Amino acid sequence: MNQYDVIVVGAGNGGLVAAAMTAKAGYRTLLLEKHNIPGGCATSFVRGRFEFEPSLHELCSEATRDDQSSVTSIFRDLGVDVPLLYEDTLLRVICRGENGYDVTLKAGWEPFLDSMEAAVPGCRESVKTFLDLINPVDDAMGLMNDGIPNPVMLMKKHSDFIRIAGHSAEEVMDAVGIPQKAKDILNTYWGYLGVPTDELNGLHYLSLLTAYIKGHPSMPYHRSHEMSLALVKVLQDNGGTIYYNREVTRFLYDGQDAVCGVIAGGEAFWAKKVISNVIPNNVFNRSDNRHISKRSRKLANARQLGMTFITIYLGLDCTMEELGVKDYSVFVVNDPNPRKQYDDRLDFGMYIVNCLNKALPDATPEGTCTLFFTLPYYPGDLPEDLSPENYKKFKNDIAEKFIKDYEQLMGISIIPHIEEISIATPITFARYLSTPRGAVYGYSNGGWDNVVTRAAMEAMDYDTANLYFCGGHYIRGDGYPSGYMTGEMAAKAVIRALKEGK
Amino acid sequence: MANKNKLLESLSMSGFVKTVAERLRAVGKSSDAPVPDLLSYPENKLAQQLHPHVQFLIVEDIIDHSPDMKSYILAADLKRGGDKLAWFSAGQYLVLQIEMDGKTISRPYSIASSPCDTKDGYYQITVKRVEGGVASGYILDNWTIGTPVTASAPLGDFTYERLRDAKTVIGIAGGSGITPFRAFARAIAQGEEDFNLVLLYGSRTKKDAVFSDEIAALAETCNKIKIVNVLSASKAKDCEQGFITAKLIQKYAPKDEAYSVFLCGPQAMYRFVDKELATLSLRQKFVRHELFGEYFHPEQNDDYPQDGKAVYTLTVHMAGQTKTVSCPADTSLLRAMEAAGLNPPSDCRSGRCGWCHSQLLKGDVYVPESVDGRRMADKIYGYIHPCCTFPLSDCELDVPPMPKL
Repeated sequence: MNQYDVIVVGAGNGGLVAAAMTAKAGYRTLLLEKHNIPGGCATSFVRGRFEFEPSLHELCSEATRDDQSSVTSIFRDLGVDVPLLYEDTLLRVICRGENGYDVTLKAGWEPFLDSMEAAVPGCRESVKTFLDLINPVDDAMGLMNDGIPNPVMLMKKHSDFIRIAGHSAEEVMDAVGIPQKAKDILNTYWGYLGVPTDELNGLHYLSLLTAYIKGHPSMPYHRSHEMSLALVKVLQDNGGTIYYNREVTRFLYDGQDAVCGVIAGGEAFWAKKVISNVIPNNVFNRSDNRHISKRSRKLANARQLGMTFITIYLGLDCTMEELGVKDYSVFVVNDPNPRKQYDDRLDFGMYIVNCLNKALPDATPEGTCTLFFTLPYYPGDLPEDLSPENYKKFKNDIAEKFIKDYEQLMGISIIPHIEEISIATPITFARYLSTPRGAVYGYSNGGWDNVVTRAAMEAMDYDTANLYFCGGHYIRGDGYPSGYMTGEMAAKAVIRALKEGK
Repeated sequence: MANKNKLLESLSMSGFVKTVAERLRAVGKSSDAPVPDLLSYPENKLAQQLHPHVQFLIVEDIIDHSPDMKSYILAADLKRGGDKLAWFSAGQYLVLQIEMDGKTISRPYSIASSPCDTKDGYYQITVKRVEGGVASGYILDNWTIGTPVTASAPLGDFTYERLRDAKTVIGIAGGSGITPFRAFARAIAQGEEDFNLVLLYGSRTKKDAVFSDEIAALAETCNKIKIVNVLSASKAKDCEQGFITAKLIQKYAPKDEAYSVFLCGPQAMYRFVDKELATLSLRQKFVRHELFGEYFHPEQNDDYPQDGKAVYTLTVHMAGQTKTVSCPADTSLLRAMEAAGLNPPSDCRSGRCGWCHSQLLKGDVYVPESVDGRRMADKIYGYIHPCCTFPLSDCELDVPPMPKL
């Protein structure tokens, strides 16, 4: 009864796509989820008359305009049809201080270049040169998808790719001669990846930036929960099964140290292949360590846990017009330099405020609107004396501090309109995601653990037989598209192996 | 090859190799010990302290208020591995698992003690006999000192939020709806909460007004607390007589500043007071209700499409097991499953918390609009909250089991 071809552990974005794809390919698939709803971060929650989007800022690599984009093709291949609304503006960035600026960037290649040129006259060509580097990168990546090619051939034929992949985003921008201010503005999105651009891999940032610019960012009409339920439907329509409230507490191995099943809810389930949407640390913690290679343990111990957040969800009893908010996505920074923004993160170095009503006008009931504050946090940022007794005060104090800062900056009045408020912290994420330290982005993409080395070393890093991974902790780093795409990668690898009878 | 940009030539090709080598080096010199346990991290530890999956408690003391109302003092059950009690916000509730006649049912009870009382090692809950109620009668008749009680973490959002609520809260309580206000009053007196509480407490007679004297005594020592008994069936000194009307609320509300209204009581009280409140045109943000409670008599609603007399069959899939259950049309799917001994998950029983979230595979159901707390996408993809869903035909459901610990 409990014998499956594929067991997927965790119904986050990666797990949902992986399970839907293996089921669709005809394999007997079981998806085990510890919560009573799917999605992980891709969900929603209701407070009073508001339904909040908990994590998605904007979906990229998804577009009607560019058929190559990967989320589009994954959803299309699976038959997922979720209504999306598109935003024509990427972001507004307000930088305080002497060298401050207030710039709104448009989505779409030409409008983006126009808005950069308007902000920094004369920068257009160099910015275009930088963004165009995505073409050689894409070519090389296409090659890599079929396995790592001969390095000599790579260096010869794809030298641009090699050069970009071996340097930070700032180094690449400097090489193509982007003026300082234009560089500062282009750097704004670093917070989405959690690593300042002087350390962030050039290829990683270039991919993210161009994905947003090319394919207008979009939002699901009924919150991310809709995408998650749509993926569950594909799984079920193809004969797959999802069990909720079934946390995997043990990974089972055969005599050759290959994964052969799991225990969930006190019951054993067996499979030829197991795909984990769960971070390797948790898999190893739920395994007999004799089956985990020395190198896997070393890698897990060597890695830095990635970014987490404090997020503030507000339901307001006035419209966005009455509030005086005009933008969907506002990045507030206190200095043009991302490293300084990162260093000052607890004191307004960088935070993001979204107003979903700009993207989805009827996202909330008539006469109301919603704001969503995102504050970057890293392991160790929480006060050491945080305790159950002072936790609520801590949350409220932080929320008040940032809301008041935004009120002052924008000259608007928010607090008197708060009808619903919910504040999530790394503690909240630790509770819901069960990740070490409440990490939302898996492992940090900084330093040696960037997406390029992750991809290059994938075969060596993930060495447990029959065990596959997907999710933000895996090779592509964080973000909804990465979750979906790594789910696809895992499913394809599993399907290939099963077809070959491995 | 077009993939050559002269400008990039200043970037060496060796960076790529270097970064891979750096990775190998970093991993090589790292420890091969098993990765740290989750609970060794402060964030995960605090998450568990605030939201334990389960709390093993024991009845440590019982306070008789009347033959039909008792308070239970619940302490950690050390024998079953009970630990420090989870901290909470005044106004929150515990869901108790009640084992009766070989079945397990769960019911939410407001915590009547204050968060600070958990430092003294206890929660207090107060149970009033509900006519026709299954759980309340069982608890009152069977629980004794030493009875083990399995509870959830503290839950619910009937809490004071300083960034949202006015500085003064008019509390409107009826019957056992006084319990969260006892928690608020104690928390204010102890300095754990900071707002003015003006409590309008509706009872039939002064004798029925449990906790009234105790809260009045707190008010003597703390000028942020005030209690007014509103008696519907008798007269007494210093008490208001009649029901809690708009006029009465205005009489005790601050005259020149905004105030919040918090309501907790029986459904009949909500229906009456909500009409009164409507005449005051308060902003919605200033009116907050505790859980509505279980929904009965859907057939009395204008939009209910049948006569409510049919009995339907539910086919319930739960983690690989399938059972059939009989469900009268006027009974919620949750109650029918509980009656059949399925022990489906439920916390608030009011349509709000989503813990009973289940998939409707086949059949038609009726969900009263006022308690439909589902997410938008749930409605599109056929998910329901069985606690406030009623069958209009035979139905097939997929219900997550209670998590095993």
